[in-house]
Amino acid sequence: MATLFTLNLVTPRAVASLPDSTKGSPIKVPYLNQPWKRILSPLESRRMQVRAAPDRLSEKVEQSIKEAQEACSDDPASGECVAAWDEVEELSAAASHARDRLKDNDPLENYCQDNPETDECKTYDN
Amino acid sequence: MAVCPVYTTQSLNSTCSISTPSKTHFSSHHNHLVFYRTSKRTSKRGGSSSCVITCSAGDSQTVVIGLAADSGCGKSTFMRRLTSVFGGAAEPPKGGNPDSNTLISDMTTVICLDDYHSLDRTGRKEKGVTALDPRANDFDLMYEQVKALKSGIAVDKPIYNHVSGLLDPPELIKPPKILVIEGLHPMFDERVRDLLDFSIYLDISNEVKFAWKIQRDMAERGHSLESIKASIEARKPDFDAFIDPQKQYADAVIEVLPTQLIPDDNEGKVLRVRLIMKEGVEHFSPVYLFDEGSTISWIPCGRKLTCSYPGIKFSYGPDTYFGREVSVLEMDGQFDRLDELIYVESHLSNLSTKFYGEVTQQMLKHADFPGSNNGTGLFQTIVGLKIRDLYEQITASKTAAPLQATKA
Repeated sequence: MATLFTLNLVTPRAVASLPDSTKGSPIKVPYLNQPWKRILSPLESRRMQVRAAPDRLSEKVEQSIKEAQEACSDDPASGECVAAWDEVEELSAAASHARDRLKDNDPLENYCQDNPETDECKTYDN
Repeated sequence: MAVCPVYTTQSLNSTCSISTPSKTHFSSHHNHLVFYRTSKRTSKRGGSSSCVITCSAGDSQTVVIGLAADSGCGKSTFMRRLTSVFGGAAEPPKGGNPDSNTLISDMTTVICLDDYHSLDRTGRKEKGVTALDPRANDFDLMYEQVKALKSGIAVDKPIYNHVSGLLDPPELIKPPKILVIEGLHPMFDERVRDLLDFSIYLDISNEVKFAWKIQRDMAERGHSLESIKASIEARKPDFDAFIDPQKQYADAVIEVLPTQLIPDDNEGKVLRVRLIMKEGVEHFSPVYLFDEGSTISWIPCGRKLTCSYPGIKFSYGPDTYFGREVSVLEMDGQFDRLDELIYVESHLSNLSTKFYGEVTQQMLKHADFPGSNNGTGLFQTIVGLKIRDLYEQITASKTAAPLQATKA
Protein backbone atom coordinates (compact mmCIF):
# COMPACT_ATOMS: atom_id res chain seq x y z
CA MET A 1 0.00 0.00 0.00
CA ALA A 2 2.91 2.33 0.66
CA THR A 3 4.16 1.89 -2.87
CA LEU A 4 0.82 3.11 -4.22
CA PHE A 5 1.34 6.33 -2.32
CA THR A 6 4.83 6.81 -3.65
CA LEU A 7 3.67 6.29 -7.21
CA ASN A 8 1.04 8.97 -6.73
CA LEU A 9 3.62 11.33 -5.37
CA VAL A 10 6.21 10.64 -8.03
CA THR A 11 4.12 10.99 -11.20
CA PRO A 12 2.89 14.57 -10.64
CA ARG A 13 6.48 15.64 -10.20
CA ALA A 14 7.46 13.93 -13.45
CA VAL A 15 4.64 15.72 -15.26
CA ALA A 16 5.56 19.04 -13.70
CA SER A 17 9.18 18.89 -14.75
CA LEU A 18 8.41 18.18 -18.41
CA PRO A 19 7.42 21.72 -19.45
CA ASP A 20 10.71 23.06 -18.10
CA SER A 21 12.96 21.19 -20.45
CA THR A 22 11.35 22.08 -23.76
CA LYS A 23 14.57 22.94 -25.52
CA GLY A 24 14.94 19.52 -27.01
CA SER A 25 17.57 18.24 -24.60
CA PRO A 26 16.85 14.77 -23.24
CA ILE A 27 14.30 14.96 -20.47
CA LYS A 28 16.05 14.00 -17.28
CA VAL A 29 13.63 12.15 -15.07
CA PRO A 30 16.13 10.39 -12.83
CA TYR A 31 13.71 8.55 -10.62
CA LEU A 32 11.89 6.89 -13.49
CA ASN A 33 15.09 5.68 -15.16
CA GLN A 34 16.86 4.75 -11.96
CA PRO A 35 14.17 3.79 -9.46
CA TRP A 36 16.71 3.04 -6.72
CA LYS A 37 17.53 6.72 -6.60
CA ARG A 38 13.97 7.85 -6.01
CA ILE A 39 13.37 10.27 -3.18
CA LEU A 40 11.97 8.48 -0.19
CA SER A 41 8.47 9.56 0.69
CA PRO A 42 8.01 10.95 4.22
CA LEU A 43 6.31 7.70 5.31
CA GLU A 44 9.19 5.53 4.23
CA SER A 45 11.95 7.79 5.53
CA ARG A 46 10.21 7.88 8.90
CA ARG A 47 9.94 4.10 8.88
CA MET A 48 13.68 3.82 8.13
CA GLN A 49 14.50 6.04 11.11
CA VAL A 50 12.21 4.10 13.44
CA ARG A 51 13.72 0.80 12.35
CA ALA A 52 17.22 1.97 13.31
CA ALA A 53 16.39 2.83 16.93
CA PRO A 54 15.53 -0.69 18.22
CA ASP A 55 18.69 -2.12 16.58
CA ARG A 56 20.83 0.45 18.38
CA LEU A 57 19.06 -0.32 21.62
CA SER A 58 19.45 -4.08 21.16
CA GLU A 59 23.19 -3.63 20.79
CA LYS A 60 23.24 -1.46 23.89
CA VAL A 61 21.32 -4.10 25.84
CA GLU A 62 23.75 -6.81 24.80
CA GLN A 63 26.72 -4.67 25.74
CA SER A 64 25.28 -3.67 29.09
CA ILE A 65 24.60 -7.32 29.99
CA LYS A 66 28.23 -8.19 29.31
CA GLU A 67 29.40 -5.24 31.40
CA ALA A 68 27.10 -6.21 34.25
CA GLN A 69 28.35 -9.77 34.24
CA GLU A 70 31.92 -8.48 34.39
CA ALA A 71 31.15 -6.04 37.19
CA CYS A 72 29.46 -8.71 39.23
CA SER A 73 32.17 -11.33 38.80
CA ASP A 74 34.31 -9.49 41.40
CA ASP A 75 31.73 -8.62 44.03
CA PRO A 76 28.04 -9.45 43.57
CA ALA A 77 26.88 -7.16 46.38
CA SER A 78 28.76 -4.04 45.36
CA GLY A 79 27.15 -0.86 44.20
CA GLU A 80 28.72 -1.18 40.74
CA CYS A 81 27.17 -4.60 40.19
CA VAL A 82 23.72 -3.41 41.27
CA ALA A 83 23.95 -0.24 39.20
CA ALA A 84 25.07 -2.27 36.17
CA TRP A 85 22.08 -4.61 36.38
CA ASP A 86 19.80 -1.61 36.86
CA GLU A 87 21.17 -0.22 33.61
CA VAL A 88 20.39 -3.54 31.90
CA GLU A 89 16.82 -3.32 33.18
CA GLU A 90 16.44 0.29 32.00
CA LEU A 91 17.75 -0.50 28.53
CA SER A 92 15.59 -3.63 28.23
CA ALA A 93 12.53 -1.57 29.10
CA ALA A 94 13.48 1.08 26.54
CA ALA A 95 14.06 -1.63 23.89
CA SER A 96 10.68 -3.20 24.56
CA HIS A 97 8.95 0.20 24.34
CA ALA A 98 10.70 0.87 21.04
CA ARG A 99 9.54 -2.51 19.73
CA ASP A 100 5.98 -1.75 20.81
CA ARG A 101 6.05 1.61 19.08
CA LEU A 102 7.33 -0.07 15.93
CA LYS A 103 4.51 -2.59 16.09
CA ASP A 104 1.97 0.21 16.43
CA ASN A 105 3.29 2.12 13.45
CA ASP A 106 0.65 1.46 10.83
CA PRO A 107 1.46 3.44 7.66
CA LEU A 108 -2.21 3.93 6.83
CA GLU A 109 -3.02 5.22 10.30
CA ASN A 110 -0.06 7.60 10.19
CA TYR A 111 -1.14 8.95 6.81
CA CYS A 112 -4.76 9.32 7.87
CA GLN A 113 -3.87 11.23 11.02
CA ASP A 114 -2.49 14.02 8.86
CA ASN A 115 -4.94 13.76 5.97
CA PRO A 116 -8.36 12.68 7.23
CA GLU A 117 -10.29 14.06 4.27
CA THR A 118 -8.71 11.87 1.58
CA ASP A 119 -10.69 9.02 0.07
CA GLU A 120 -8.75 6.32 1.92
CA CYS A 121 -9.31 7.96 5.28
CA LYS A 122 -12.89 9.15 5.28
CA THR A 123 -14.99 7.58 8.02
CA TYR A 124 -18.77 7.50 8.04
CA ASP A 125 -19.72 7.13 11.67
CA ASN A 126 -23.22 8.52 11.61
CA MET B 1 -15.80 25.59 33.87
CA ALA B 2 -13.67 28.68 34.32
CA VAL B 3 -13.73 30.90 37.34
CA CYS B 4 -14.20 34.51 36.25
CA PRO B 5 -14.23 37.09 38.99
CA VAL B 6 -15.47 40.45 37.68
CA TYR B 7 -13.97 43.66 38.95
CA THR B 8 -15.40 47.08 38.28
CA THR B 9 -13.36 50.16 38.99
CA GLN B 10 -14.68 53.61 38.90
CA SER B 11 -12.21 56.39 38.79
CA LEU B 12 -12.16 59.98 37.78
CA ASN B 13 -9.35 59.32 35.36
CA SER B 14 -9.90 57.05 32.48
CA THR B 15 -7.09 54.73 33.40
CA CYS B 16 -7.77 51.33 34.79
CA SER B 17 -5.29 49.13 36.55
CA ILE B 18 -5.17 45.43 36.05
CA SER B 19 -3.91 43.59 39.06
CA THR B 20 -2.26 40.33 38.12
CA PRO B 21 -1.00 37.76 40.56
CA SER B 22 2.78 37.93 40.54
CA LYS B 23 3.48 34.32 39.70
CA THR B 24 1.51 33.81 36.52
CA HIS B 25 2.93 33.64 33.04
CA PHE B 26 0.82 34.39 30.01
CA SER B 27 1.74 31.06 28.51
CA SER B 28 -0.53 29.28 30.98
CA HIS B 29 -4.29 29.03 30.76
CA HIS B 30 -4.97 32.51 32.09
CA ASN B 31 -7.01 34.63 29.73
CA HIS B 32 -7.27 38.25 30.64
CA LEU B 33 -10.00 40.16 28.92
CA VAL B 34 -9.93 43.85 29.45
CA PHE B 35 -12.88 45.96 28.55
CA TYR B 36 -12.78 49.61 29.25
CA ARG B 37 -15.08 52.29 28.08
CA THR B 38 -13.91 55.83 28.01
CA SER B 39 -16.64 58.09 26.83
CA LYS B 40 -16.11 61.75 26.18
CA ARG B 41 -19.07 62.49 28.32
CA THR B 42 -17.28 61.30 31.43
CA SER B 43 -16.12 64.78 32.38
CA LYS B 44 -19.75 65.73 32.86
CA ARG B 45 -20.66 62.54 34.60
CA GLY B 46 -17.62 62.70 36.79
CA GLY B 47 -16.12 59.34 36.15
CA SER B 48 -15.64 56.49 33.78
CA SER B 49 -16.26 52.97 34.66
CA SER B 50 -13.93 50.30 33.44
CA CYS B 51 -14.53 46.63 33.80
CA VAL B 52 -11.74 44.12 34.00
CA ILE B 53 -12.70 40.52 33.71
CA THR B 54 -10.01 37.99 34.40
CA CYS B 55 -10.79 34.41 33.52
CA SER B 56 -8.40 31.99 35.08
CA ALA B 57 -9.18 28.56 33.77
CA GLY B 58 -6.04 26.92 35.08
CA ASP B 59 -5.47 27.50 38.72
CA SER B 60 -6.71 25.22 41.44
CA GLN B 61 -8.47 22.95 38.95
CA THR B 62 -5.67 20.60 37.99
CA VAL B 63 -6.28 17.18 39.49
CA VAL B 64 -3.06 15.30 40.21
CA ILE B 65 -2.93 11.50 40.10
CA GLY B 66 0.11 9.47 41.11
CA LEU B 67 0.95 6.02 39.76
CA ALA B 68 3.78 3.98 41.22
CA ALA B 69 5.20 0.73 39.90
CA ASP B 70 8.50 -0.93 39.19
CA SER B 71 9.85 -0.95 35.68
CA GLY B 72 8.18 -3.44 33.35
CA CYS B 73 5.05 -3.67 35.48
CA GLY B 74 2.33 -2.26 33.25
CA LYS B 75 2.46 1.47 33.90
CA SER B 76 2.34 2.27 30.18
CA THR B 77 -0.65 0.00 29.61
CA PHE B 78 -2.42 1.57 32.57
CA MET B 79 -1.68 5.04 31.17
CA ARG B 80 -3.14 4.15 27.80
CA ARG B 81 -6.31 2.78 29.39
CA LEU B 82 -6.63 5.81 31.65
CA THR B 83 -6.23 8.37 28.89
CA SER B 84 -8.68 6.40 26.75
CA VAL B 85 -11.38 6.64 29.44
CA PHE B 86 -11.15 10.42 29.14
CA GLY B 87 -11.22 10.23 25.37
CA GLY B 88 -8.53 10.86 22.82
CA ALA B 89 -5.19 9.23 22.35
CA ALA B 90 -2.24 10.44 24.38
CA GLU B 91 0.78 11.28 22.26
CA PRO B 92 4.24 12.70 22.87
CA PRO B 93 4.37 16.50 22.43
CA LYS B 94 4.49 17.35 18.75
CA GLY B 95 7.59 19.03 17.45
CA GLY B 96 9.58 18.44 20.61
CA ASN B 97 12.28 16.00 21.65
CA PRO B 98 11.40 12.64 20.04
CA ASP B 99 12.69 10.81 23.11
CA SER B 100 10.40 12.73 25.44
CA ASN B 101 8.59 10.59 27.99
CA THR B 102 5.64 12.93 28.30
CA LEU B 103 2.23 12.03 26.86
CA ILE B 104 -0.36 14.71 26.15
CA SER B 105 -4.03 14.33 25.27
CA ASP B 106 -6.94 16.80 25.46
CA MET B 107 -7.65 16.34 29.14
CA THR B 108 -4.59 14.64 30.53
CA THR B 109 -0.85 15.07 30.61
CA VAL B 110 1.28 12.15 31.78
CA ILE B 111 4.68 12.99 33.22
CA CYS B 112 7.29 10.30 33.75
CA LEU B 113 9.14 10.85 37.01
CA ASP B 114 12.37 9.52 35.49
CA ASP B 115 12.70 13.08 34.16
CA TYR B 116 13.59 14.17 37.70
CA HIS B 117 16.70 12.01 37.90
CA SER B 118 19.48 14.11 39.35
CA LEU B 119 22.13 11.66 38.14
CA ASP B 120 22.27 10.43 34.57
CA ARG B 121 23.32 6.89 33.66
CA THR B 122 27.07 7.50 33.88
CA GLY B 123 26.64 9.44 37.11
CA ARG B 124 24.76 6.55 38.68
CA LYS B 125 27.35 4.06 37.47
CA GLU B 126 30.15 6.11 39.05
CA LYS B 127 28.39 6.32 42.38
CA GLY B 128 27.18 2.72 42.25
CA VAL B 129 23.58 3.82 42.74
CA THR B 130 20.43 2.50 41.02
CA ALA B 131 17.60 4.63 39.66
CA LEU B 132 15.48 3.30 42.53
CA ASP B 133 17.67 5.05 45.08
CA PRO B 134 16.34 8.44 46.25
CA ARG B 135 19.88 9.82 45.93
CA ALA B 136 19.48 9.62 42.14
CA ASN B 137 16.32 11.79 42.09
CA ASP B 138 15.71 15.48 42.66
CA PHE B 139 12.64 15.53 44.90
CA ASP B 140 12.83 19.29 45.50
CA LEU B 141 12.44 20.02 41.79
CA MET B 142 9.69 17.38 41.52
CA TYR B 143 7.75 19.02 44.36
CA GLU B 144 8.16 22.56 42.99
CA GLN B 145 7.09 21.65 39.48
CA VAL B 146 4.11 19.49 40.48
CA LYS B 147 3.00 22.29 42.84
CA ALA B 148 3.33 24.84 40.04
CA LEU B 149 1.37 22.72 37.59
CA LYS B 150 -1.31 22.13 40.19
CA SER B 151 -1.67 25.89 40.66
CA GLY B 152 -1.94 26.49 36.93
CA ILE B 153 1.61 27.65 36.13
CA ALA B 154 3.49 26.17 33.18
CA VAL B 155 6.92 24.72 33.90
CA ASP B 156 10.10 23.79 32.05
CA LYS B 157 10.55 20.17 32.90
CA PRO B 158 13.85 18.35 32.25
CA ILE B 159 13.83 15.31 29.97
CA TYR B 160 15.62 12.09 30.84
CA ASN B 161 16.48 10.33 27.60
CA HIS B 162 16.15 6.57 28.15
CA VAL B 163 18.01 5.76 24.94
CA SER B 164 21.15 7.80 25.62
CA GLY B 165 20.88 7.85 29.40
CA LEU B 166 21.47 11.61 29.51
CA LEU B 167 19.46 14.56 30.75
CA ASP B 168 18.21 16.50 27.73
CA PRO B 169 17.21 20.19 27.60
CA PRO B 170 13.85 20.92 29.25
CA GLU B 171 10.47 21.02 27.54
CA LEU B 172 7.56 23.30 28.37
CA ILE B 173 4.65 21.62 30.12
CA LYS B 174 1.38 23.54 30.33
CA PRO B 175 -0.96 22.79 33.23
CA PRO B 176 -3.59 20.30 32.09
CA LYS B 177 -6.96 19.44 33.59
CA ILE B 178 -5.60 16.13 34.83
CA LEU B 179 -1.94 15.61 35.58
CA VAL B 180 -0.71 12.06 36.01
CA ILE B 181 2.74 11.51 37.46
CA GLU B 182 3.96 7.99 36.92
CA GLY B 183 7.22 6.42 37.94
CA LEU B 184 9.11 4.83 40.75
CA HIS B 185 8.72 7.49 43.45
CA PRO B 186 5.46 9.46 43.22
CA MET B 187 4.61 8.82 46.86
CA PHE B 188 8.11 8.74 48.30
CA ASP B 189 8.43 12.41 49.19
CA GLU B 190 5.88 13.58 51.72
CA ARG B 191 5.34 16.99 50.12
CA VAL B 192 4.59 15.44 46.72
CA ARG B 193 2.30 12.92 48.40
CA ASP B 194 0.20 15.74 49.86
CA LEU B 195 -0.29 17.23 46.40
CA LEU B 196 -1.78 14.04 45.00
CA ASP B 197 -5.57 13.85 44.75
CA PHE B 198 -5.45 10.12 44.14
CA SER B 199 -2.65 7.59 44.15
CA ILE B 200 -2.33 4.08 42.74
CA TYR B 201 0.32 1.43 43.32
CA LEU B 202 0.81 -1.59 41.03
CA ASP B 203 2.09 -4.39 43.24
CA ILE B 204 3.33 -7.31 41.16
CA SER B 205 4.43 -10.43 43.01
CA ASN B 206 7.89 -11.84 42.35
CA GLU B 207 6.77 -14.90 40.38
CA VAL B 208 4.53 -12.86 38.08
CA LYS B 209 7.22 -10.19 37.66
CA PHE B 210 9.71 -12.84 36.64
CA ALA B 211 7.25 -14.34 34.13
CA TRP B 212 6.46 -10.92 32.62
CA LYS B 213 10.11 -9.96 32.33
CA ILE B 214 10.89 -13.25 30.61
CA GLN B 215 8.12 -12.55 28.10
CA ARG B 216 9.45 -9.05 27.55
CA ASP B 217 13.17 -9.77 27.36
CA MET B 218 13.55 -13.19 25.77
CA ALA B 219 13.16 -11.59 22.36
CA GLU B 220 16.30 -9.53 23.02
CA ARG B 221 19.51 -11.03 21.67
CA GLY B 222 21.76 -10.68 24.68
CA HIS B 223 19.34 -11.83 27.33
CA SER B 224 19.11 -15.27 28.85
CA LEU B 225 17.12 -16.68 31.75
CA GLU B 226 20.10 -16.19 34.04
CA SER B 227 20.63 -12.55 33.10
CA ILE B 228 16.94 -11.73 33.63
CA LYS B 229 17.02 -13.46 37.01
CA ALA B 230 20.27 -11.71 37.98
CA SER B 231 18.82 -8.34 37.04
CA ILE B 232 15.73 -8.86 39.21
CA GLU B 233 17.79 -10.17 42.15
CA ALA B 234 20.27 -7.28 42.00
CA ARG B 235 17.53 -4.64 42.06
CA LYS B 236 15.48 -6.32 44.76
CA PRO B 237 17.19 -4.78 47.86
CA ASP B 238 16.74 -1.21 46.58
CA PHE B 239 13.21 -1.98 45.44
CA ASP B 240 12.21 -3.39 48.84
CA ALA B 241 13.81 -0.48 50.66
CA PHE B 242 12.54 2.46 48.60
CA ILE B 243 9.70 1.53 46.26
CA ASP B 244 7.69 -1.11 48.08
CA PRO B 245 6.94 1.00 51.20
CA GLN B 246 4.99 3.42 49.01
CA LYS B 247 2.10 0.99 48.82
CA GLN B 248 0.93 1.86 52.32
CA TYR B 249 0.23 5.42 51.16
CA ALA B 250 -1.68 4.50 48.01
CA ASP B 251 -5.46 5.01 47.80
CA ALA B 252 -5.77 2.00 45.50
CA VAL B 253 -3.39 -0.94 45.14
CA ILE B 254 -3.64 -3.41 42.28
CA GLU B 255 -1.94 -6.56 43.49
CA VAL B 256 -1.12 -9.26 40.93
CA LEU B 257 -0.45 -12.77 42.15
CA PRO B 258 -0.24 -16.22 40.59
CA THR B 259 -3.56 -18.00 40.22
CA GLN B 260 -4.99 -20.32 42.83
CA LEU B 261 -7.29 -22.05 40.37
CA ILE B 262 -4.58 -24.12 38.70
CA PRO B 263 -2.40 -26.09 41.12
CA ASP B 264 1.34 -25.73 40.49
CA ASP B 265 0.91 -23.25 37.69
CA ASN B 266 4.19 -21.58 36.77
CA GLU B 267 3.33 -20.18 33.36
CA GLY B 268 1.89 -17.02 34.81
CA LYS B 269 -0.80 -16.79 32.14
CA VAL B 270 -3.78 -16.99 34.50
CA LEU B 271 -3.58 -14.34 37.20
CA ARG B 272 -5.20 -13.58 40.51
CA VAL B 273 -5.67 -9.83 40.80
CA ARG B 274 -6.74 -7.97 43.93
CA LEU B 275 -8.01 -4.40 43.92
CA ILE B 276 -7.36 -2.99 47.40
CA MET B 277 -9.33 0.22 47.90
CA LYS B 278 -8.79 2.47 50.88
CA GLU B 279 -11.91 3.47 52.78
CA GLY B 280 -12.65 7.07 53.61
CA VAL B 281 -10.87 8.67 50.69
CA GLU B 282 -12.55 11.89 49.58
CA HIS B 283 -14.46 11.64 46.27
CA PHE B 284 -13.69 7.91 45.99
CA SER B 285 -16.27 5.22 46.74
CA PRO B 286 -14.98 1.65 46.47
CA VAL B 287 -16.45 -0.86 44.03
CA TYR B 288 -18.36 -3.66 45.69
CA LEU B 289 -20.05 -6.94 44.95
CA PHE B 290 -23.69 -7.45 45.99
CA ASP B 291 -23.53 -5.83 49.44
CA GLU B 292 -21.11 -3.20 50.66
CA GLY B 293 -19.15 -4.26 53.71
CA SER B 294 -20.01 -7.94 53.70
CA THR B 295 -17.75 -10.80 52.63
CA ILE B 296 -18.77 -12.41 49.36
CA SER B 297 -17.34 -15.25 47.36
CA TRP B 298 -18.76 -15.61 43.87
CA ILE B 299 -18.25 -18.00 40.99
CA PRO B 300 -20.25 -16.62 38.06
CA CYS B 301 -19.91 -19.77 35.96
CA GLY B 302 -22.87 -22.08 36.35
CA ARG B 303 -26.27 -22.45 34.81
CA LYS B 304 -26.61 -18.98 33.32
CA LEU B 305 -23.01 -18.64 32.18
CA THR B 306 -20.70 -21.33 30.90
CA CYS B 307 -16.96 -20.67 31.20
CA SER B 308 -14.02 -22.64 29.91
CA TYR B 309 -11.21 -23.91 32.14
CA PRO B 310 -10.07 -22.58 34.61
CA GLY B 311 -13.12 -20.35 34.95
CA ILE B 312 -13.55 -17.19 36.99
CA LYS B 313 -13.77 -16.68 40.73
CA PHE B 314 -14.56 -13.41 42.48
CA SER B 315 -14.39 -12.42 46.10
CA TYR B 316 -15.05 -9.22 47.96
CA GLY B 317 -14.73 -8.20 51.56
CA PRO B 318 -13.45 -5.69 54.10
CA ASP B 319 -9.90 -6.01 55.36
CA THR B 320 -7.06 -4.08 56.96
CA TYR B 321 -3.96 -3.15 54.97
CA PHE B 322 -1.01 -1.62 56.81
CA GLY B 323 -3.31 -0.58 59.60
CA ARG B 324 -5.93 1.08 57.40
CA GLU B 325 -9.48 -0.01 56.63
CA VAL B 326 -9.78 -1.25 53.05
CA SER B 327 -12.19 -3.10 50.80
CA VAL B 328 -10.71 -5.80 48.63
CA LEU B 329 -12.22 -6.97 45.35
CA GLU B 330 -10.46 -9.98 43.91
CA MET B 331 -10.67 -11.75 40.57
CA ASP B 332 -8.98 -15.03 39.76
CA GLY B 333 -9.16 -16.43 36.23
CA GLN B 334 -9.67 -15.22 32.69
CA PHE B 335 -12.41 -13.87 30.47
CA ASP B 336 -12.83 -15.86 27.30
CA ARG B 337 -15.96 -14.34 25.86
CA LEU B 338 -17.72 -11.04 25.72
CA ASP B 339 -20.78 -12.24 27.60
CA GLU B 340 -18.67 -13.30 30.58
CA LEU B 341 -17.41 -9.75 30.82
CA ILE B 342 -20.84 -8.12 30.57
CA TYR B 343 -22.29 -10.63 33.04
CA VAL B 344 -19.60 -9.77 35.59
CA GLU B 345 -20.04 -6.04 35.00
CA SER B 346 -23.78 -6.23 35.58
CA HIS B 347 -23.21 -7.69 39.03
CA LEU B 348 -20.57 -5.21 40.24
CA SER B 349 -21.80 -2.05 41.96
CA ASN B 350 -20.43 1.46 42.35
CA LEU B 351 -18.48 1.29 39.12
CA SER B 352 -18.97 5.00 38.28
CA THR B 353 -19.95 4.13 34.72
CA LYS B 354 -22.05 6.56 32.72
CA PHE B 355 -24.01 3.83 31.00
CA TYR B 356 -24.55 0.10 31.28
CA GLY B 357 -21.72 -1.80 29.65
CA GLU B 358 -19.14 0.99 29.73
CA VAL B 359 -16.49 -1.20 31.39
CA THR B 360 -16.99 -3.89 28.75
CA GLN B 361 -16.84 -1.32 25.99
CA GLN B 362 -13.57 0.11 27.30
CA MET B 363 -12.08 -3.37 27.65
CA LEU B 364 -13.08 -4.25 24.09
CA LYS B 365 -11.70 -1.01 22.73
CA HIS B 366 -8.27 -2.14 23.85
CA ALA B 367 -8.59 -5.89 23.45
CA ASP B 368 -5.01 -6.03 22.15
CA PHE B 369 -3.50 -4.56 25.34
CA PRO B 370 -1.88 -7.03 27.72
CA GLY B 371 -4.20 -8.06 30.51
CA SER B 372 -7.40 -7.46 28.59
CA ASN B 373 -8.71 -10.88 29.43
CA ASN B 374 -8.07 -10.91 33.16
CA GLY B 375 -8.31 -8.85 36.32
CA THR B 376 -5.43 -6.51 35.49
CA GLY B 377 -7.26 -4.98 32.53
CA LEU B 378 -10.61 -5.04 34.34
CA PHE B 379 -9.35 -3.31 37.48
CA GLN B 380 -7.24 -0.82 35.56
CA THR B 381 -10.34 0.15 33.56
CA ILE B 382 -12.43 0.41 36.74
CA VAL B 383 -9.79 2.59 38.42
CA GLY B 384 -9.76 4.76 35.30
CA LEU B 385 -13.53 5.28 35.60
CA LYS B 386 -13.16 6.02 39.31
CA ILE B 387 -10.57 8.68 38.50
CA ARG B 388 -12.95 10.24 35.99
CA ASP B 389 -15.64 10.31 38.67
CA LEU B 390 -13.18 11.84 41.15
CA TYR B 391 -12.20 14.52 38.63
CA GLU B 392 -15.84 15.42 37.96
CA GLN B 393 -16.60 15.64 41.67
CA ILE B 394 -13.59 17.85 42.34
CA THR B 395 -14.33 20.25 39.48
CA ALA B 396 -18.00 20.39 40.44
CA SER B 397 -17.14 21.29 44.03
CA LYS B 398 -14.59 23.91 42.93
CA THR B 399 -17.02 25.71 40.60
CA ALA B 400 -19.78 25.55 43.19
CA ALA B 401 -17.73 27.39 45.81
CA PRO B 402 -17.13 30.66 43.92
CA LEU B 403 -20.78 30.73 42.79
CA GLN B 404 -21.79 30.63 46.40
CA ALA B 405 -19.34 33.42 47.18
CA THR B 406 -20.80 35.69 44.50
CA LYS B 407 -24.32 35.01 45.68
CA ALA B 408 -23.39 35.95 49.24
